[in-house]
Amino acid sequence: MKQHRQWPRFAIVLAVLALIATGCRDSGTTADVEDVDTGAAPAETTTPADTATDTPTETAADTATPTDTGSPTEGTTPAGDIAFDTGVTEEACPDAVNPDNGCIYLGTLSDLTVGPFAALAVPITDAQKAFWNRVNEDGGIGGFDVNVTEFVRDNQYNPEIHNQEYQAIKNDVLALAQTLGSPTTAAIIEDLNAEGIVAVPASWTSEWAFQDVILESGVNYCFESMNSIDWAVENLEGIETVMAVHYPGDYGGDAAAGARIAAEANGLEFTDVETAPGPDNQSGAISAVASQQPDLVILTTNPTDAGAVVGNTAAQGYQGTFIGTGPSWNKGLLTSPAAEAVQALYLASGPWTWTQESPGRDAMEEALGDVDPNDGYTSGWVWSYPLKAALEQAAENGDLTREGLLAAVSELDDVDYEGMLPDEAGNFVGDPNETAYRGSIVSEPNPEAIVGLDVLQDFFVGPTAEGYDFTQSCYTTTAG
Amino acid sequence: MTRFGQSLIQGLGNGSIYALLALGFVIIYKSTLVISFAQPALMVAGATMVVFLTGSFGLPFFAAVPVAMLLTALLGLIVERSALRPMVGKPVFVVAIITIGVDITIRVVVNRFLGNTIRNFTSPWGLDTLRVGDVFVQQRFLAMMLTTAVVVAALFAFFKYSRTGLAMRATAFDQETALAQGISVGMVFALSWAIAGALAALAGTFVGTGGSIDQQTWIIALKALPAIIIGGLDSVGGAVIGGLVVGVIEALVGTYQPTAAPWLGNNFAVVSPYVVLLIVLLLRPYGLFGTPEVERV
Amino acid sequence: MTALLTDRGGRGSRPRGRPELYTSYSSDLALLNTPAKRAGVLAIVAAAFALPFAVSDQVLVLLGTGLAMSVGAIGLNIVTGYAGQVSLGHAFFVGLGAYTAAVLSGDPDGRLVGFGLPMVVWLPAAGLVAGAAGLLVAPLATRLRGLYLAIVTLGLVFLGEHVFREWDSITGGPGVGRDAVQATLFGNSLTAGGAVLSGAQKVYLFALVVLIAAAVPARNLARSGVGRAFAAVRDRDIAAEVIGVSLTKAKLLAFTISSFYAGICGALLYTITRTVEPNSFNLLLSVRFIAMVLIGGAATISGSIMGAMFVTLLPRFTQQVPRFVPFIGQGVTGGGLLTNVELEAMLYGLLIIAFLIFEPRGLFGVWLRVRNYWKGWPFSY
Repeated sequence: MKQHRQWPRFAIVLAVLALIATGCRDSGTTADVEDVDTGAAPAETTTPADTATDTPTETAADTATPTDTGSPTEGTTPAGDIAFDTGVTEEACPDAVNPDNGCIYLGTLSDLTVGPFAALAVPITDAQKAFWNRVNEDGGIGGFDVNVTEFVRDNQYNPEIHNQEYQAIKNDVLALAQTLGSPTTAAIIEDLNAEGIVAVPASWTSEWAFQDVILESGVNYCFESMNSIDWAVENLEGIETVMAVHYPGDYGGDAAAGARIAAEANGLEFTDVETAPGPDNQSGAISAVASQQPDLVILTTNPTDAGAVVGNTAAQGYQGTFIGTGPSWNKGLLTSPAAEAVQALYLASGPWTWTQESPGRDAMEEALGDVDPNDGYTSGWVWSYPLKAALEQAAENGDLTREGLLAAVSELDDVDYEGMLPDEAGNFVGDPNETAYRGSIVSEPNPEAIVGLDVLQDFFVGPTAEGYDFTQSCYTTTAG
Repeated sequence: MTRFGQSLIQGLGNGSIYALLALGFVIIYKSTLVISFAQPALMVAGATMVVFLTGSFGLPFFAAVPVAMLLTALLGLIVERSALRPMVGKPVFVVAIITIGVDITIRVVVNRFLGNTIRNFTSPWGLDTLRVGDVFVQQRFLAMMLTTAVVVAALFAFFKYSRTGLAMRATAFDQETALAQGISVGMVFALSWAIAGALAALAGTFVGTGGSIDQQTWIIALKALPAIIIGGLDSVGGAVIGGLVVGVIEALVGTYQPTAAPWLGNNFAVVSPYVVLLIVLLLRPYGLFGTPEVERV
Repeated sequence: MTALLTDRGGRGSRPRGRPELYTSYSSDLALLNTPAKRAGVLAIVAAAFALPFAVSDQVLVLLGTGLAMSVGAIGLNIVTGYAGQVSLGHAFFVGLGAYTAAVLSGDPDGRLVGFGLPMVVWLPAAGLVAGAAGLLVAPLATRLRGLYLAIVTLGLVFLGEHVFREWDSITGGPGVGRDAVQATLFGNSLTAGGAVLSGAQKVYLFALVVLIAAAVPARNLARSGVGRAFAAVRDRDIAAEVIGVSLTKAKLLAFTISSFYAGICGALLYTITRTVEPNSFNLLLSVRFIAMVLIGGAATISGSIMGAMFVTLLPRFTQQVPRFVPFIGQGVTGGGLLTNVELEAMLYGLLIIAFLIFEPRGLFGVWLRVRNYWKGWPFSY
């Protein structure tokens, strides 16, 4: 009886040993963790390189200061004479499009499985993969292909895990092609600043405009709500009361802050209703809307909850207008039980949408092929343009090191979005009050349209957003 | 008064979802003395099955729901046979963690089918309402409450009058003696998981009638935990009452707390079932209808 | 204290080859009472201290996190493994400790409440505040048993989450959070890279020192009268009461000590992670701790440490697996049966299940088997 239970025990012991072995295998770079409060130059550690690494193309990266171990010297490409170190290699990427090019590695830290934004994060990541694949097919940048698939990690929308995964891939990548979530990015922003690693966020919080290493694109939630209210006041009749129904945290809080500012500027009565995620937790919001009957509701939630609020309030006789921010929309709402209410009462605001025609949009459609259309794809695609421009600028300057990339970012005053954003949106140089892009769009639901939305009002900046003095992020100024 | 009426109806509607889930928990607990954290996964699996049966397979709603219930019952059976049968006799909390592992696994597979978008199915009621005075009563809430009442009555009848039901009650009372009397305890275990699976699928269908199903829908099922404790872990009637109480409290607090007691913070309604739980347990440590454990030293 | 660790008395007088023949009280009571144990523990501790110089920084951060979680797992083992009071509320106490530490060490002029106190104050204070909370929660345990207690402690986690989310002058609010503890000892930062050691190495060594300082008292507690009282309460609480073990006192003590450890764990954990966010202290974290205790082995201290390291390193392990499995699609929506991230998530659940099915006594049970085999070798069977 005891005999046949031996093998599972061996299996367990082997599993534990394998675990320990893989834990030790994951090394091979001389790295150090820096801290902002020392302000000192990076300290050099002389840890001897460990056993074989598991990523086939990983070379022993070295920092800019000379080391005394036998690590390779700074690399140069034979033809272009571009300096590079961390995250860039001379060998081609695995499954490279251009086998003669070197490889630039970009990291992705996204919520791919269990967190609340997985539904959007997967299309975003996919779109970025298609974007950089297109860049590679056009010949790469400065003699290098760009790889965003090797270092994709799941952060489960947890700042601790985000930090751990960031530490794990930090020394193998030049920059981050995506870091999803505000609390998660806040967990690594200190290190990003200290190491000078450029990162593209997958969110539109107003805080990012004030961080040099963050390459945000598109209007932030704060201005988006301001524009929505301004548009409604101008184009809809009888708007006198506004209610903001939003999630807690920076996503909802930023939008609500903008809504409050615009309501005050327009002389409207404003109510703030916070609601928790989950369609079963919307009864408070539904009751507030149905009983107070505001003329306009700015909705900042996710699609399921938006459907619950719109559908249930309409069922109770509410006839006002909902304007929902970008992530609150999903085409599935038009086949849900709330479809009728959504078509009658709902409008979507946003930084952009698939329906807008532009060369960039056509390129995106071609690159993505056959997918279920979703503005997550649009966002992932558009967010990648500044990083591409920065990489191209750095390659032109002959410096694809981290310092070189950061220097290139400080020269970015004219990013080409291929028509997906207006020209003035591409300026990253100078005071955020001058350069932050403030334009958003308003769309209405249409079951025939590609993501279910028809653009009602193309990029515009309302008077409130135009006149707003943008010196700090909206969410903390009116912190509640 | 209308606000109160609206909230009450909404609370009873949501409460029937929690009641069905709590029933599943309690049935498993009564027979096997295991608390199963796999109910959320079974609920989402059932809802997803209805989505696909009415969508891709084109079955009408009233045919799809029983089929989904049967399939989820089968899933519950498979889970019991593979993951839980080897664990008979092991400590209770080890088995509970195993059910959590099962929950994670099933959810990953179901999420693969759900994808990144929201899924819907058309129910006969949608969001249609009828007016009773000033109060808008959604038809689906009425349907949910009616179905729950019928299901609970059927379960009561099953437990009281049928042989298998009697066998389950006997096993819940004393496993060893039931075994000695010739009752197939293994069959009882399997059947309790199957019934729990079917109930979870029905609850999932309710969740999907007025809204959409996405990858976060499973969190709704966690609300059944305070429901089972408030009602008492081993009381079938208690589970139903607990579920309804949780639903009503949540709805009422959600409506009135922001104006009446804003110092409690935003979204206090989400934690209000747990506050009620604490109060109930302080007065009755085994829940409203649970039987106190008698321990022999 | 050293008498409890080593065997001073009677060492020279014990015949060789008879390690379990004790000839003095102190040698009987010693924690490491055989030469084999002494040698083994010395070897492990020496290896642990030498590890930072052999392993890269990114693994060290992970290991440091594992060590911090070990402290928390020891706490949970005390209340759940030794005293038998199932607590799903561990995440709440960890959060309390983390926020106490963050507030006490925070910048007094910053956006949020802070007092700017040094580490000698905030590290014990984190434990003390969490311990006080545990003391307040403990009366629930005297009234409730088994699964009822478990669900009530679960409710505690949800209530705690609510409080952390709403009290944003202390926590910064959801989605924003606040910067975590800046640890300094005698003016030297414990997390920043310095001249001799890098930041990750310092963090790892700091966590290791705290873990050893926490584990030894816990082990002694388990062997003392208090520990025996806990075991009595776990096994037959009514009989224990009958013979004179005060149930209330034992349960109060168990919760308080466990929460103290959880508070220390929270303070330590967030020194490593650098930001604290209110949504991190949720059911998932509590379940992770329970998994650590069960996988490591309930009612053992070394088991808690092993379990914590296992669960912390598991994701790194599951990340390697998809490379070797052919039907997994690359990228996030690649073809194949599952994508690699989904496989990781599934593996996590499956491994925990498989482990518990095959070895319910956990890693400590595996160690016991190995040890007993070699003890009786070549006559083991």
